[in-house]
Amino acid sequence: MDTKIRHTGRLRQTFVYLGKLFRMFIFRNDWKVMPMAAFISGLVSFVVGKKMNVSMEGTLRGAFAFSCICIWNGFFNSIQVICRERPIIKREHRGGLHMTSYVFAHMLYQAFLCSCQAAITILIMMVAKVKMPTVGYVFHPMADLFLTMFLITYAADMIALFISALVKNTTTAMTVVPFLLIFQLIFSGGFFSLTGNAYKMSYLTVSKWGLTALCAQGEYNSLPMTSLWTSMSKMRSLEIEGEKPVDEMLDFITASKRKNELMLQCGSNNQDKRYESSTANVLQCWRNLGLFIAGFALLSVILLEFIDLDRR
Amino acid sequence: MMDRIGALSLLAELLGMIGLWRIFTKCGRKGWHSLIPFLRRYEQGICARKESEGRAIVLLEIGMQAAFVATALFKRGSWQYLVSAMVLLIILIPLTIFSLRIYFGLCDSFGRSRLWVILWLLAEWLCAGIWGFVPGFRTIEGYPFDEESAAPEVSGLEVDLTAPGLSINIDRRTAVNFLKTKVLLKDIHMNIPLGHLVLLLGGSGAGKTTFLNAVTGYEKAKAVITLGDSNVYKEYNKMKYDIGFVPQQDLVRGSDTVYRTLSDAASLRLPADMKSEVRRSRINEVLDIFGLTPVKSSLVDKLSGGQRKRLSIAMEYISDPSLFILDEPDSGLDGVMARALFEKLRDIADSGKIVIVITHTPDRVADLFDDVIVVAKDVRRTGRLAYYGPIKEAYSFFGKNSMEEILMSINRREEGGEGRADDFVRKYAALAAGGEA
Repeated sequence: MDTKIRHTGRLRQTFVYLGKLFRMFIFRNDWKVMPMAAFISGLVSFVVGKKMNVSMEGTLRGAFAFSCICIWNGFFNSIQVICRERPIIKREHRGGLHMTSYVFAHMLYQAFLCSCQAAITILIMMVAKVKMPTVGYVFHPMADLFLTMFLITYAADMIALFISALVKNTTTAMTVVPFLLIFQLIFSGGFFSLTGNAYKMSYLTVSKWGLTALCAQGEYNSLPMTSLWTSMSKMRSLEIEGEKPVDEMLDFITASKRKNELMLQCGSNNQDKRYESSTANVLQCWRNLGLFIAGFALLSVILLEFIDLDRR
Repeated sequence: MMDRIGALSLLAELLGMIGLWRIFTKCGRKGWHSLIPFLRRYEQGICARKESEGRAIVLLEIGMQAAFVATALFKRGSWQYLVSAMVLLIILIPLTIFSLRIYFGLCDSFGRSRLWVILWLLAEWLCAGIWGFVPGFRTIEGYPFDEESAAPEVSGLEVDLTAPGLSINIDRRTAVNFLKTKVLLKDIHMNIPLGHLVLLLGGSGAGKTTFLNAVTGYEKAKAVITLGDSNVYKEYNKMKYDIGFVPQQDLVRGSDTVYRTLSDAASLRLPADMKSEVRRSRINEVLDIFGLTPVKSSLVDKLSGGQRKRLSIAMEYISDPSLFILDEPDSGLDGVMARALFEKLRDIADSGKIVIVITHTPDRVADLFDDVIVVAKDVRRTGRLAYYGPIKEAYSFFGKNSMEEILMSINRREEGGEGRADDFVRKYAALAAGGEA
């Protein structure tokens, strides 16, 4: 046999597998993740969309909800893709498949899925009349929003790809997903106040960086805070020595048309440095999401290189 | 008070160790292993014929000890303490379950009532003492470790590596599993000429697939395998394209068309500089050979079992390998389809290739084969060569009239066979050495 025979290299193999994945997109109904993204986005926009980028509380809630749906989309894009065809990959590895090509093909294909899902989510937000960011910190405001949503989805997607490379079957993969989601929700730092080591753990979540980027783009620190006004409104009937001081105060503020000023003042006193609207902050979030993407893709390749050790 | 509890615990530990020493000896293991903390649990698993549980328990115990030390080191109430305590609690659950499984296994190995498990769980030291020192507690008849020493000796024969075709000289193929090295295959030597269709016969777990993986270089053994002038192990990266291995399951993506599946397989296996017309012509040729041309545009999911099997074979055949190996290609096929498939393999062999096939229904196609390799488990459950040679001579060698009868004769008694594997291993070694069979 001629020793100089060259077989298909990594780049060509990547395109062979990319072709397979796109055929699967069409023939195996992988396209269904698109309407699912639209449906979830519509649901979230309906519930939290109206106050997003309008008030501090609404923005935090909205940013949290939208980063969660991006994570959800990302997880479900790829949690089963490797483990469901693990024996096939093992066979192909035996026949000369390079794992770098296989994972890279998945990365390209998943990037396509995630960008479509990010675009669909934004489109649905616009249809649902969610207030969009008006300032672009790196590019155009819409491009910034798209990139943030894409990176959140893609980072979650790569985590799920890693899990899919780690486990041996789809049942285990689907069992792991809820734990991953809970971890992302609890440690995002948006809703549960985290201190000490728990706060440090939030650095390891996609949700924290996604939430931060969305809040920064939504001008979180420049928005009014409504919770104080809402709380005080509930205390209008409070009587002290036969008088209703809260009711009187709120009436005075309303009559003097200073309600918005009060809420803005309230907001400026409750600014959160983490959500600072600046180019540096947005870029830092993107960089960290990028690190998740590269790190988990690399780990997936390393894991798959050991696929030959799978027992029969 | 605490000192007294500590002293009693130590005493119980010592009694347990001594009792387990005796139990291990009764099971044919080294008694002093009971003195080594984690190894003791693993050996207990071996004695209970629950090796994997024994392994798991060792890992769990290591984890538990680490968590235990951590709880002692960290301040009570700190997050590190809480995490350690939580880990400790979580580990305790599987540890108890695996211990239960081992205790049940011990009861079975010693032929005792499973009610003993309760005492094992509550007072292991007491149970170990009773089982270790009371003479009536001994392993049941046929217990695996009672008969280890009688395995057939190594033949010491080797075949000529310069002969044309496939030369196999496997000294041994071992697998290190946790703390133990297990010999999966031993002493297998043969020359398979070009153009031969060879049947690989052996009971479940005899090491057929391990043997094939060792021959192809996929799982390397202490061996020298040559295919023509090439050393399969030393030139594996080159040789893997010249060896086709068709796995038992049809590992093909259902969402691709037949043509695409084959064309992608060609991209992986054929030389990169092959002209596209030549590649296309090869794909069409293989589609024709395996009767897949009429369904080339169909999705794999829509194919019948036989068509899918043929596609799986075609994916490997696309590179025109010199050595073609198939693991149960006829599983799930009816007699007519299986016969047609094996006739196709006969044609491939006649074109100058070596084709080795595992099948569990050999008699319906036995006339198509040139040779048979019989691999059998010896008393140590190591795969050994019980016969290699022409099919017709195999019948007289084993004194049987069919391949299934041959299989029956080498299978272990507990598997419903005659348990004569060791006899035939010795007989074949003598035959191969030129002595009297």
